[in-house]
Amino acid sequence: MTSPTVLTPALADFVTSHLSIHLAASDDRGIATLVRGLGCRRDPAATNRLRLLIAAPQAEPVLRALTTNGRIAVVFSEPESHRTVQLKGRDAHRVERDPDDTALLAPYINTLVARLATVGTPEAFVRALLHCPTEALCIVRFTPDEVFGQTPGPQAGQRLATGSALP
Amino acid sequence: MNPELSLDTLRSCLEGILPAGLATCAPDGTPNVTYVSQLMYVDPEHVALSFQFFNKTRENILANPHATVLMMDPDTAARYRLSIRYLRTETAGPLFERMKATLAGIASHTGMTGVFRLRGADIYRVLAIEAVPGHSLPPPVARAPLLPALRRSVDALSACRSLEHLIDTLTMRLERHFGIDHQMLLMADDAAQRLYIMASRGYASSGAGAEVRYGVGVIGVAAREQTPIRIIFPAAEYAYSRAIREQLEGGELAGQLEAGIPLPGLPEPSSQLAVPVRAGDRLIAVLYVESAQQCRFDYDMEDALVALCAMLGPCMCALQGDALEDDSPAAAHDHPAPDATAEPLRVHYFGRDGSVFLDDHYLIKGVAGSILRALLEDHLAQGRSEFSKREMRLDPRLRLPEVVDNLDARLILLSRRLADRSTEVRIEKAGRGRIRLVLTRPVVLITD
Repeated sequence: MTSPTVLTPALADFVTSHLSIHLAASDDRGIATLVRGLGCRRDPAATNRLRLLIAAPQAEPVLRALTTNGRIAVVFSEPESHRTVQLKGRDAHRVERDPDDTALLAPYINTLVARLATVGTPEAFVRALLHCPTEALCIVRFTPDEVFGQTPGPQAGQRLATGSALP
Repeated sequence: MNPELSLDTLRSCLEGILPAGLATCAPDGTPNVTYVSQLMYVDPEHVALSFQFFNKTRENILANPHATVLMMDPDTAARYRLSIRYLRTETAGPLFERMKATLAGIASHTGMTGVFRLRGADIYRVLAIEAVPGHSLPPPVARAPLLPALRRSVDALSACRSLEHLIDTLTMRLERHFGIDHQMLLMADDAAQRLYIMASRGYASSGAGAEVRYGVGVIGVAAREQTPIRIIFPAAEYAYSRAIREQLEGGELAGQLEAGIPLPGLPEPSSQLAVPVRAGDRLIAVLYVESAQQCRFDYDMEDALVALCAMLGPCMCALQGDALEDDSPAAAHDHPAPDATAEPLRVHYFGRDGSVFLDDHYLIKGVAGSILRALLEDHLAQGRSEFSKREMRLDPRLRLPEVVDNLDARLILLSRRLADRSTEVRIEKAGRGRIRLVLTRPVVLITD
């Protein structure tokens, strides 16, 4: 059951504002695994979907799990403020990379360099962490159908009603 | 598990410098992903994750114990996936306290002071470690290796023939071989559940005699739990100076007395490490080192100091009983008699707590205070200046504990405190097993 209204404009703006990203998938044995994301943008074909950039060699177990059930969890965190949300979906799968996806990587990395500099992480470190050759870049597309506030604190993990204010 | 890829070689990833990611799976197959505030090394096969809030992660691991951590090396950005299995949660004890202290540092480092509160240390077995492919930076330039420093220090300590020499050697070797600029050695008084500073290095005043209660600050928690406590970021609630201040605010008379002793300790240390010194299962002392620099003491430094203290404890025990020959030379006895016409120094002794005041200024309390009173009493009554430790051990006025008397430690404390406070009363060595009381001013002893 997917709701076209989960990805509100405010939520979409937040998760595509070049945040720190991790995505997880679980296989049919109930083992979850995860990889770092390298960018996120709205799917131009459907406003309720997101496209996530990942490095295929790093994401191998995640991609394998996604092919079995499409279930995905993605956490987005703003390093300077710790504002964090988690989105979940059930239709995640790998799609062809297009030139706009590839074009997103460099600005994403540049923004992360600037964001993480505010918490003292050196630029060379961030560039090594997020480095991905174009040929290794792959795209996972999904429709968020649940959103949780995950900013650290006692309220972390609470489901956010559709359209409610971001944490 | 790949032998080259072990938790022991990846401990820098487990310092909490950068957050790790954690993926869990609900019984219905839904994945969940969060950031982990703290991922801590327990041993080569186990890690601990901080349990702070009841949330989806918590719910998931209680129902399905399998999870995956994605962690990174804070120097090289190399990433590793750990397949882990939840075993249990500890809510008290050494591991919990270590995690709580570490979390306080991480909270301050990440601007989360007041948000993080440790409910439990979740212990996981590590089933597999996978190096995630990708770019990484070259490893940082290696610092001076710690094993040669440890060996040289151990060699030097094993050559010591008196407790005082041992303590001085320890502090000097820590500075020279380990580059530790700020350090204290505190003796444990288990009956009173307190530690008192015996020696320090790197501060304006020695602080000899200043006390800290078990359970207070990094030092007190290390003593109570008998486990090393290490924090690599500023953590105000664990700082020694703050611990002392809070202890004083507790309003205890005994605590207030210590206000008279100038306290050493950096006001806002950025790295702290306290290591218990034990002999068998008995706590003898706590070694405390601190630095103004963040991340100054890593797991390897903790290992080295724990190993050094494992050797130090039995040495201290052996030397306290004069088991080895103290061949350090006696001080030359060429002191002039005090000027009999000078106004006498008023030494006021309170039997209630063994406290001693010199001209109304607090000096010391407890056993060390009782020792000074006995020495002065015998000096005034019998004209004696030299005393043997053997006779002191039998002296009921000293109120020494019967099992472990710590006489040598108390004498060192008393002599250092006198050296800090007064030039008119001193105690010094007078040959093997003997001490000498040296007065440069007449004394009047008032006891109540």
